[in-house]
Amino acid sequence: MVKAYAQEHVYKHPWEIVTSASWRKFADPENKRTLSHVLDVDTLNHKLDAESGKLYTTRAITIHAPGPWFVRKIVGQDICHCVESTVVDGQSRSMQLTTRNISLQKFIEVEERIRYDPHPDNPRGWTMCKQETSIRIKPLSALASMAEKVEQRCAERFLQNSVKGREVMERICKYLESESRGITF
Amino acid sequence: MGIIREKKPKSSSPSSTSPCADLRAAYHNCFNRWYSEKFVKGQWQKEECVAEWQQYRACLSEHLEDKHLSRFLEAEGLDGTARADSANVADGAETNS
Repeated sequence: MVKAYAQEHVYKHPWEIVTSASWRKFADPENKRTLSHVLDVDTLNHKLDAESGKLYTTRAITIHAPGPWFVRKIVGQDICHCVESTVVDGQSRSMQLTTRNISLQKFIEVEERIRYDPHPDNPRGWTMCKQETSIRIKPLSALASMAEKVEQRCAERFLQNSVKGREVMERICKYLESESRGITF
Repeated sequence: MGIIREKKPKSSSPSSTSPCADLRAAYHNCFNRWYSEKFVKGQWQKEECVAEWQQYRACLSEHLEDKHLSRFLEAEGLDGTARADSANVADGAETNS
């Protein structure tokens, strides 16, 4: 069984600013209080294709996801490692992030895809963010009998966190914009 | 929706357990600057932050205990996951244009 949902959000900031903010979202200690579920972010790998202007990055994101007691009892851990791969195409101005959990995979698979593109109505000024999340409890896992409940809880958590994520993004965008006013673009 | 007060940035990185935290901060700061000031303006011909990356990566390869994660670190260049994503970006670009 798969639970999937999609969200869209328009940032009234240019793509350059929004994608800069996306890189800083977890790394800035200022945001750790808001996004307290994110414990650590490490860059594992990166590659720049200087010909085409594409940047590939793999990061590890360590998340604290305690979940309800009945899940904790089965799963036995509340730290989850995720791997995020990002492709930024500087030429066509697109950024795509895909995040998957790599721990607890025998119980659950969560995949989150986010895309940032210039908004068609105002490509220089606004950015369209499209986010898709799918949550899948493995059919034969110990969680399968309560799959629906776990998926629901997980989806709620994701929604809460994506709202917090947007708040953080807005704040960094504003900060970057005020900073860049001092610099000639 | 509370606005969190700006404290002095990067004075200390709180509660990070990683022994690579300082090198990581140095690399990420360098990368973030390069991304906003160069990459998004089309200046992607030259890779920067190379020294910062090498030091940080060396530390990571020493301290990354999780086998799932070190798999990604060891892969020279990029693995299948990222390639699949780049294919998706190509798909997206086609549908967008």
